[in-house]
Amino acid sequence: MMLTVENLHKSYQVGKTTYEVLKGISLAVDQGEFVGVMGPSGSGKTTLLHCISCYLPADGGRITLGERALADLDEAALAAVRNQQLGFVFQDFLLLDGLTVRQNILLPAIIGGAAGPGAEERADQLCQVFGLTPLREKYPAEISGGEKQRTAVARALINHPLLILADEPTGNLDSQSSRRVIDAFQQARAALGATILMVTHDSFAASFCDRVVILRDGVVWRVLAKGEQDRVHFQDQLLDVIRDMGKE
Amino acid sequence: MQTFSDVYRHLRRKQWRQYALLAGCAFFSTLLITAYACMMRSPTILTVLPEGGDSRKQVMMVFVLAVLGCLVFTTYAAGLFFRQRSRELGIFLALGASRQQLKGALRRDLTVIALAACLAGGVLGAPLSWCVWTLFRRFLVDSQEMALSFDPVAYGLPLCFGAYVLVMLLFLASRSVDRTNILDIIQESHKSEPIRAVKRWYGPVGLLLVAAGVALGNLMPSVFVRVFHWYAPSVVTGLCYAPALVGLYMFLLHTVVNGWGRRKGYKNLIATAMMKFQGRQTVRNMLVMTLLVAGAYFASFYAPMMSSSSAYSFEQRPVDYEYHWRGDQDLPEQDAVLALAAEHDVDLTSWAQVTAATLGRDGSYSVERETAFGTTYTTEYTQLLKGATFFSESDWNTLTGQEVDLRPGTCANVLDDEGGSSYRSGGDVAVLTNMVTRQTLRVTPAEPLRYTMLLGCYVLDDGDYAAITQGLTELWTEEYVFFNVADVEASYPFAKALFQEIIACSGPEVEVADYYDLVGAALAQERGEPYAYDPQQAAARGLSVIDYDDSDSSEFRAYWLYMPQFRVLDQNDFATTMAVFLMLFIFIALVCFAAVIVIAFTRSMTLALTNARVYDDLRRLGAPPDYLYRTVKGQVSRVFQVPILVGTVLIYAFYGLIMYTNSQPAGITASEGAGMLTCLAVVAGVTLLLYLVYRLTLRQVCAVTIYRKGG
Repeated sequence: MMLTVENLHKSYQVGKTTYEVLKGISLAVDQGEFVGVMGPSGSGKTTLLHCISCYLPADGGRITLGERALADLDEAALAAVRNQQLGFVFQDFLLLDGLTVRQNILLPAIIGGAAGPGAEERADQLCQVFGLTPLREKYPAEISGGEKQRTAVARALINHPLLILADEPTGNLDSQSSRRVIDAFQQARAALGATILMVTHDSFAASFCDRVVILRDGVVWRVLAKGEQDRVHFQDQLLDVIRDMGKE
Repeated sequence: MQTFSDVYRHLRRKQWRQYALLAGCAFFSTLLITAYACMMRSPTILTVLPEGGDSRKQVMMVFVLAVLGCLVFTTYAAGLFFRQRSRELGIFLALGASRQQLKGALRRDLTVIALAACLAGGVLGAPLSWCVWTLFRRFLVDSQEMALSFDPVAYGLPLCFGAYVLVMLLFLASRSVDRTNILDIIQESHKSEPIRAVKRWYGPVGLLLVAAGVALGNLMPSVFVRVFHWYAPSVVTGLCYAPALVGLYMFLLHTVVNGWGRRKGYKNLIATAMMKFQGRQTVRNMLVMTLLVAGAYFASFYAPMMSSSSAYSFEQRPVDYEYHWRGDQDLPEQDAVLALAAEHDVDLTSWAQVTAATLGRDGSYSVERETAFGTTYTTEYTQLLKGATFFSESDWNTLTGQEVDLRPGTCANVLDDEGGSSYRSGGDVAVLTNMVTRQTLRVTPAEPLRYTMLLGCYVLDDGDYAAITQGLTELWTEEYVFFNVADVEASYPFAKALFQEIIACSGPEVEVADYYDLVGAALAQERGEPYAYDPQQAAARGLSVIDYDDSDSSEFRAYWLYMPQFRVLDQNDFATTMAVFLMLFIFIALVCFAAVIVIAFTRSMTLALTNARVYDDLRRLGAPPDYLYRTVKGQVSRVFQVPILVGTVLIYAFYGLIMYTNSQPAGITASEGAGMLTCLAVVAGVTLLLYLVYRLTLRQVCAVTIYRKGG
C-alpha cells in the first residue's frame, strides 16, 4: 500500500467547546491509484487531507506513507517527507507571485537541494506534458486560473513523490479549466505513474477517480469503486449516493 | 536559481516594498530617538534645564512618550511585515522547507535590516538635530548659550532601541515559523483580527476615567505633600495618570468599534466594518498617535505661553526701570544714571530711591526623612529661619505710589499684582530679628499688598521699622531704585549700558543666585559650618551658578539675586535669553509632529493595502467611485481625525487645568489667559497643516485603492 490511514482522530477546540472532526477514519490508497474523497461540508475531508499532509498533527491513529509511520518522525524528517514523498495541489494554487511558472515548478527541488540540470530538464518535461511550455517565463499574475492549477500539478510532481494530495483542485476554476486540470492528473498517472488522493465537492471531477471515499460526520460512510463502468455512469452513481445521503 | 538562498534572494528583490517599509520604520524611529536623545543629553540643554526642574521633567515626559510611540510603531511595522510574508513562508513549509531553513534565512535578512536601519538612523540622528538647531540659530534666534555640543552617552538609548528592534524581529520571526499548523501560516494574511464585543458604556466611562486620571495626576502630588507630608516617588505620581491612559484606550476602542452618536443606517457600514477588524492594532496606533499629538502640543505651547505671558507681565509693570543693591556695594545712583542717560539721549521722568532692610524672620522648615516609600517630612518652627527684605510704609509708598498705612505691630507680605502667592511670596511672619543687635519684634499679619515687582518683600509700620532696623550695618540694608523714562522703547541702548554698569560695579560677594540667603550664611558662620548655598558649595551640588562674565545667559537673567528689572531690556532680550528653552521645545514639537505624520501616513497606506481586496469586491459589486471614495475617506479620516482631535482637546484642557491650579488662589491670571489664547492660535495653525497632510494622504490612499491601474 502507498498510503494507509488507521483509526484517525482529530478534534478542534473553539473556546470551551471541542469539535471532534475525525472520528476514527481508516482508508488505504494503492500505488498508482487515483482516489477521491467526497462529503458534505464539515464531514472532515479537508482535515483528513491536512493530517495526511502533516500540516496538522492528528490526535490519534496511524498514518503510514510507503513503509514509514508519519507519527514517529521528527520535524526535520516530516519536512523531508513533505518535500520528497508528497506533492500538493491546493484550491487557491499557492504559487509564489514573485517566481515564474518554471521557477514555481522547480521550487520543491530547490528547497530539497536537488535543483540542477536534471531537475530543470524534468521541469521542462512537465511543462510540455501539461501544456505550459509557452508560459514558462510568465508570472502567476499573467496566467489564467486553470494554467495556475496545472502549474501547481507540475510542481507537485517535480520531486517524483509517492503521493499527490489535492485539496479541491477544481474549486476555483470554470468547467473548461477544471477539465484540463483533471486531464493533467490523468496524464500524471498515465505518463508518470503518480498516485493521487483528491478531496473534492465536484462529482464530475470525482468521476475520473478509480475509487471515491465518502465521508460523513467524521467517519467513512461509503466507498464507491468505479470498476469497469464508464465515467458518466460512475458520476450518476455518485450523484445517487450523495442524494441518498441527503435523505437520511 | 539553484538553491533555496537564490530563491529567497530573488523573492526579496521582488518584495522590496515590504522590506523598505520595515527598514524605513526602524530607520525613522531610530533617527527620531537618536536626534531627541542627542538633544536631551547635550550639555547645552542640560546646563539650562535644572536637575529636578519642571522643564526637564516636561521634556523627559514627552521624550518617554516619543520613545514609547516608536516602540509601538516599529513593532506594528514588524507585525505587518510578517503578516505580508506569512503566505510565502507557509508555502515554503508546505513544500517541504524545514523550519530551521526558513528561520536561518529570515534571521540573516532581519539582522541585516535591523542593523542597517538602526545604524543609519543612529548615525544620522546627531547631524539631523544639529541641522535643525543650526536652522533655528540662523533663522529664528541665536545666543551664546545655543552653541550645541553632544555627549556620546546619548547613543546609549539608540543602541538599546536597536537591540530591541533586532531581538523583537528575531522573536517574531521564530514565532511566525514555529506555529504548528502550516495552514494557519499560509492564511495569516487573510485573517482579520478578532475583536471582542465592546459595550457601549466603554465610551462614556473611558471619558470619565480620562478626566479622573488627569485630575488625579495633577492634584495628587500636592495632596501627597500637603496632607501626607510625603514626597512621593515619580513612579507613584506617574501612576496617578494611569486611569487617564486606560480611559483613553476605552474611549478609542469605543470610537473605532461602536462609533459615537446614533447609528446612521448603512452610510458608514463598510468603513466601520473594515476598521472593526483591524481591531487592536488600530486602537494601539491611535493611542500612540493621541499621546504623541498631546506631547507635541505640550511642547509647542511652551514658546507661545512663555512669550505671551512674559510679554504681558513686562507690559503690566508699573515702572520702566527697577534695580537694587546691597548696602555695602557702590552702585550708580541718580547723578551717574542721569549722566549715562544723557549720553544715550534718554530723559528720566521720575526717580525714587529708598532704603530697605534685610531682617531675620521666623517660620517653619521641613525635616526630611528617607523611608522605604520615598521621602517624608515633618515641619519644625524656628524663630530665626531666614532673611527677607522689609520696607517702611512711607518708603514703600514713595517707591510704589501706593498709600499704605499699617497699624503698629503688623506686617504685610507682598503678593503679585493679582493677589496670587507662590513659593517666592514668603507668607506671613510673626517674629523679626535685627541680625546686628539681635533685637526681635513680634508682629501680626496685615492684609497682603500687591506688587509683582517686589514679590516676597514685607512692609512694616514706620515706627516698628525704625525700631527694628536701629543699628543695622550697610551689609544688612538694600537700596531700591525705581525710575521712568520718556521713551522707553528707544531706551534699549541705555538700559543695556546701565545693566553692564551695574554688573561692573557689583563685587564678587554679591555674585550669588537667588537661593543665597544672607541670614542663612550668617547663621552657618556662627555655627562654624560651611553655608550650603555658598556659590562653591552650590556649584558642587549642581545648582545654578552666577557668573558676571555670562550676564546674557538665561541662568544669570533668571537667578541673579540682584537682577534689575528693566522693561525694555527684558522685552528685547527675552527671545535670546530664553532661546535654548524655546528652541528645545520647538524641536521636540517638530519631532513629535513628524512622528505623528509618519505614523498616520504609514497606517493609512497599510490600511488601504490590507483592504485592497475589499475595494476590488465592492467595485465588482458595482460600487461607483463616489461610494469607494467615501469608504476610503471614512477609514483614513478615522485614523487621522480621532487621535488628533482627542489629543488636541485633551492637552489643551490639561494645560488649562495646570494654569488653573498653578496659582494660589486657583484661577487663570490675565497673563495666563493671554498665553492660552496664543496657544489656541498655534492649535489652529498646526491643525491646518495636519489637515493638508490628511488630504495628501487621502489622495495617495485613493491612488492605490480606487484609481489604481487595472482597478
